[in-house]
Amino acid sequence: MRSVQETIFTIISKEAGIDPGKISLNSTLKDLEIQSLDAVQIIFEIEDHYKITMPDRDPNFDTESVRGLVEAVERLVSEKQTATAAPSAQG
Amino acid sequence: MRRVAITGMGAICALGHDAAATWTAMREGRSAIGPIRNIPTDLLNVKIAAEVHGFDPLAHFDSKRLVLLDRVSQFALIAAREAVAQSGLDFRAGARGERTACIIGTGIGGENTHNEQARRFYEDKNPRVHPLTIVRLMANAPACQITMEHGLTGPSFAVVSACASANHAMAQAFEMVRSGKVDFALTGGAEACITVTTVKAWEAVRVTADDTCRPFCKQRRGMVLGEGAGVFVFEEFEHARARGATVLAEFAGAGMSADAGDIVLPSETGAARALSAALADAGLDANDVDYVNAHGTGTPANDPTESRAIRRVFGAHADALCVSSTKSMHGHALGAAGAIELIAAIGALREGIIPPTANFIDADPECDLDYVPNVAREKSVRAVLSNSFAFGGLNAVVAISRAT
Repeated sequence: MRSVQETIFTIISKEAGIDPGKISLNSTLKDLEIQSLDAVQIIFEIEDHYKITMPDRDPNFDTESVRGLVEAVERLVSEKQTATAAPSAQG
Repeated sequence: MRRVAITGMGAICALGHDAAATWTAMREGRSAIGPIRNIPTDLLNVKIAAEVHGFDPLAHFDSKRLVLLDRVSQFALIAAREAVAQSGLDFRAGARGERTACIIGTGIGGENTHNEQARRFYEDKNPRVHPLTIVRLMANAPACQITMEHGLTGPSFAVVSACASANHAMAQAFEMVRSGKVDFALTGGAEACITVTTVKAWEAVRVTADDTCRPFCKQRRGMVLGEGAGVFVFEEFEHARARGATVLAEFAGAGMSADAGDIVLPSETGAARALSAALADAGLDANDVDYVNAHGTGTPANDPTESRAIRRVFGAHADALCVSSTKSMHGHALGAAGAIELIAAIGALREGIIPPTANFIDADPECDLDYVPNVAREKSVRAVLSNSFAFGGLNAVVAISRAT
């Protein structure tokens, strides 16, 4: 399975029409000159891919930078796995 | 050139079921934004809106008629009835109907019908779609229904430009009466967009607030959906005078522009061009204007851009202007917004009271005009501009002045 980082780089590259080589963990969406509507689409594609809901304007999540996006997705995916694992553990 | 009088107004929105109740609430700074009650909210993240409550369609329409009417047409008809009654005009008398246009804006049209029929089809797997689905959901339905109820047989159609639909519709009706193509027009906008799928779609754009609508202030978190309608009777000025009608205001001019830029981000210069064009069309000097009813959606992008556009057009007079967003009270009714906001503009002009921007907390350094925070203000008003700037960069600003 591809890493979260790899998947997110691919989504950003596709949605914003930029060369994946230009994207690094340290980039912000602003550095990459990603317009607001592209940013919203990137977040939608990430949500749809992982079946998660990214928080909107939550100060505990940084969705302005690539690193922030990767960390947010890793956190939400792991929370989701814990949540789905919980019922069987009880059983 | 012929002049255009407004001799009737009608409205229904979250603030009230008629124009008088709507204006009273605006003047009192009462916000009608609250938890959504008319639709299920279990699938929604944004659970607030400015809904029309306590509305019983059967109190206005018999059941045979109602089956033809989406909520958007119901709103349009109720507002039109009020406007026509106030004007005192009988459009079925003589050949008056032939000399009357009916131009009604809507952003989405019969969305409740569309949503419900799609739900039955996809979710209930019910293969039978209601035979009146098309006539209820078509975007021109509100305009058609008004023509049929009042016998209007002149040029009639719908205007669609998202959040600027009502202002574009009224600008068109104004041109027709001014040019002599017709002598009267019923015009305005209607919207009934609070359905599960539309609210979800707005959520997905990430421009809707989850607390309330706080235009121009630092803590603003976005727009809040509203619904309703506003409809006005436009009449050739001398005709209105001659029959001794009460002229609520003169519809003095309109300015329109397209940004030809971004599909969602507003443009300062595009908005400024519409503002300047409205002043020029109305023959007004910037110093003649005392109040601007702002587009003021409460989104991070709109409010500073609109403020800069106003400053660009009004120069030093911008600091003497009152600028408020009544969307803080009746929400953003998309294609009906400009029509509901014309109620605010007419009220300010007639009573010398500026409706406030409600829910205002702290000033934002990027928004540096006088937004009349939270409490209405007494001020003599000679002329008003009312702004609507739509997604897609389609701008329409209307100008009204005191009838003299």
